[in-house]
Amino acid sequence: MSWITTTDHKRIGILYICTSLVFFAAGGILALLMRAQLAQANEHFITKQSYNELFTIHGTTMIFLVVVPIFAGFANFLVPLMIGARDVAFPRLNALSYWLFLFGGIVLYLSFFAKYGASRSGWYAYPPLSANMFSLGHGQDLWILSLHLLSLGSLIGAINFLATIHNMRAPGMSWMRIPLFVWSIEIYSALLVLVLPVLSVGLTLLLLDRQAGTHFFEPQGGGNAILYQHFFWFFGHPEVYVMILPAMGIISEVIPVFSRKPIFGYKAIAFSTVAIGFYSMLVWAHHMFSVGLPNFLNVFFMLSSMVIAVPTGVKIFNWLATTWRGNLIFDTAMLWALGFIAVFTIGGLSGIFLAAFPVDWQVTDTYYVVAHMHYVLFGGSVFGIFAGLYYWWPKIFGRMLDERLGKAHFWLVFLGFNLTFFPQHLLGLLGMPRRVYTYSEHGLWQTYNLISSIGSGVMAIGLLVFVVNVVQTSRKGPRAVNDPWLADTLEWYTTSPPPPHNFDHLPYITSARPLRDLRRRLAETRG
Amino acid sequence: MPPPVRRKALVLVLALGAALALTAVAYAGNGGFAPPTPHSPNAKRINDSYVWISIFTGAIFVLVEGSLVWFIFKYRRRGRPRSAEGPQIHGATRLELIWTAVPVLILATIAGFVFYKLPGIQDVPSAKAEGGPLVVQVNAHQFYWQFTYPDGQISIDELHAPVNRTVRVDITSQDVDHSWWVPELGGKFDAIPGHMTHTWFKADQVGTYRGRCGEFCGVFHAAMKAVVDVQSQADYTAWLGTAGSALGRGEWQGSCAKCHGLQGQGGFGPNISTNALLTQGAGLEQLIRQGRKEMPPVAHGWSNDQVQALLAYLKKNVYKGTTSGG
Repeated sequence: MSWITTTDHKRIGILYICTSLVFFAAGGILALLMRAQLAQANEHFITKQSYNELFTIHGTTMIFLVVVPIFAGFANFLVPLMIGARDVAFPRLNALSYWLFLFGGIVLYLSFFAKYGASRSGWYAYPPLSANMFSLGHGQDLWILSLHLLSLGSLIGAINFLATIHNMRAPGMSWMRIPLFVWSIEIYSALLVLVLPVLSVGLTLLLLDRQAGTHFFEPQGGGNAILYQHFFWFFGHPEVYVMILPAMGIISEVIPVFSRKPIFGYKAIAFSTVAIGFYSMLVWAHHMFSVGLPNFLNVFFMLSSMVIAVPTGVKIFNWLATTWRGNLIFDTAMLWALGFIAVFTIGGLSGIFLAAFPVDWQVTDTYYVVAHMHYVLFGGSVFGIFAGLYYWWPKIFGRMLDERLGKAHFWLVFLGFNLTFFPQHLLGLLGMPRRVYTYSEHGLWQTYNLISSIGSGVMAIGLLVFVVNVVQTSRKGPRAVNDPWLADTLEWYTTSPPPPHNFDHLPYITSARPLRDLRRRLAETRG
Repeated sequence: MPPPVRRKALVLVLALGAALALTAVAYAGNGGFAPPTPHSPNAKRINDSYVWISIFTGAIFVLVEGSLVWFIFKYRRRGRPRSAEGPQIHGATRLELIWTAVPVLILATIAGFVFYKLPGIQDVPSAKAEGGPLVVQVNAHQFYWQFTYPDGQISIDELHAPVNRTVRVDITSQDVDHSWWVPELGGKFDAIPGHMTHTWFKADQVGTYRGRCGEFCGVFHAAMKAVVDVQSQADYTAWLGTAGSALGRGEWQGSCAKCHGLQGQGGFGPNISTNALLTQGAGLEQLIRQGRKEMPPVAHGWSNDQVQALLAYLKKNVYKGTTSGG
């Protein structure tokens, strides 16, 4: 009961994280069903309508119900602790944003029971396909309702984080001393505030087209189907960075701690986060290169998309430089962080092909894009999430996770991930479009698809190992001390788990690594 | 600590992956490591751009992954205590400037090459020697392609074109978004209702090239395939003469049979082979022009001749008479 009425940022953070993980399992099961259907040519495991529901709800789940909210969970739990605050700025609004998220998710999953089933027009729901005439039943309307609820929750949460970061930092914690994860949440929140309203407008107009007889996107009534794509991607592309920046923030916390070095180029990483956030608002039409935009727009969006590679590259080089001459400790959190660098690089590089619009004309809407976005959103975001979970688990729950199971989890997922998604690049180049429920080609098509499906099974086993790890250590795991990793940031100053009021007292902050400063001062007084 | 064994495993996996990749290339042309062998100048130039980008991204890939693996190996813990710190280096401005500037230069090189190739990819050649390009209109429908030739002939799902002739394709849709895509003849261009997009090809070899709908368009998206049949000029001219008589069959196969089965026996859609509506011109015309519930308006935008061709074909070849169960 106290969990339902709670306004404690830590408890809300835990609610967010746990709920997101449940949806992660649900979305993952949808993906496994799709991979089972595609394992062989001309398979009849799943019907075409169900398949279309699966990929629509899978995409919507992973984006709106897993990655975005789990970062809200991390941010809820960590931001006040990292900046030395007692709670977020608006604790009750914070609770509201969580409950909106939960109900939005429930609406999405209950839409499977609507007549004609859940939405089946893909996660970006282009009209006219998502219009009344081509998407019968209320699945599409419930999808819109769900996204409205989720957007509202995210928006409230984002405003809350901004207010917290701007106003509640500990004495001495200037902008150049806040942890890099807090920088990433600052930009995550700013982007959400800027672009979520645009999504809400697009969805509202779509709903009006469906239910009130308007023709905003309906060509036969004088509307414009491409307008929706602009609305959607003006939101949709910054959303990608909403999902990757906090993961990069986590990596920027984990790598220095497990390299026993300071982050290489704090300012460069902080400013590259800001730069990525800024440019992410200028690239949306690279999702629309094939709609026949005027040439100057294609050129503009190609160049702006390529520019993003520069600050992203800066981050990767700075992380590598952080490990240079370090004392690398391969605890599970570090494995995920290094794995992130390894696979995210591939996702970033394949993005350059997609930014060059003539090449995009060949590979867009094929499995190449599916591979690219999973290298970015699974290899990037989800690897980052697991790095964060293994790193902060002791702080959040007060128990250490098992390192052996953790490593098994990492290696199984790392292997399974690459098996699943690398061959999808090749499938796309061979000519397999995304979102087809079956294919009749044999030979390499079938080989690569089979490898991909086997990989998804390996990943699933890896994720089960994580579940086993959590269940086993929740009772028998060793208790966590305040600072098991000898970390740098303020959340490790308090107990694990922290008391409701977070800190009894705070040191004056003189650098970006207050905990290391404390350790050194202690050593000096003892010495 | 664990690294040595796992590192070997990692190297093994990478080596295996590389070996697999190389075998795949050796046995299957490019094996999916580049777009399919192009058969049109625009597709060729896209492939050139692809290869050009691959050179740089390949080098960056080797650099990043190589230093990652090297650092992991070189700076591993080796039994040092957790409290043993590495040198406290906070950054190096010159180094950071270098790895900001060099990527900018690389991207400029990539963009420069793509812009150099761009006119040859997107501009339809004027083809003066051939008397201008041959213009074919592509009308996308759920779930078939309709091609209209300069003299008004129509074909469904099979685009006929003469070899070594510039063909301009004007693409639009009659219902939802689709995307015209024949990989060997160039990239994707969306078919969007209310909009017209253009692309072109000039096939260098007689043969058939497979195309697919590239934008998710509904329940039969996977079945929305096209074939480009590139013929000698003589064969093409001969085919144009016969196109009219084959229209009814093409319409049946492209717009009806994907859901109702080749004999009308039913599949995703109901069995229609015994449905008397097949013989009732006016009622059937209204149904196929406007659609009903899950049935899309397959004949939206059709001319009267097109409707009549289908009706005649249905009566002659599909309708089996009403049975008692009818």
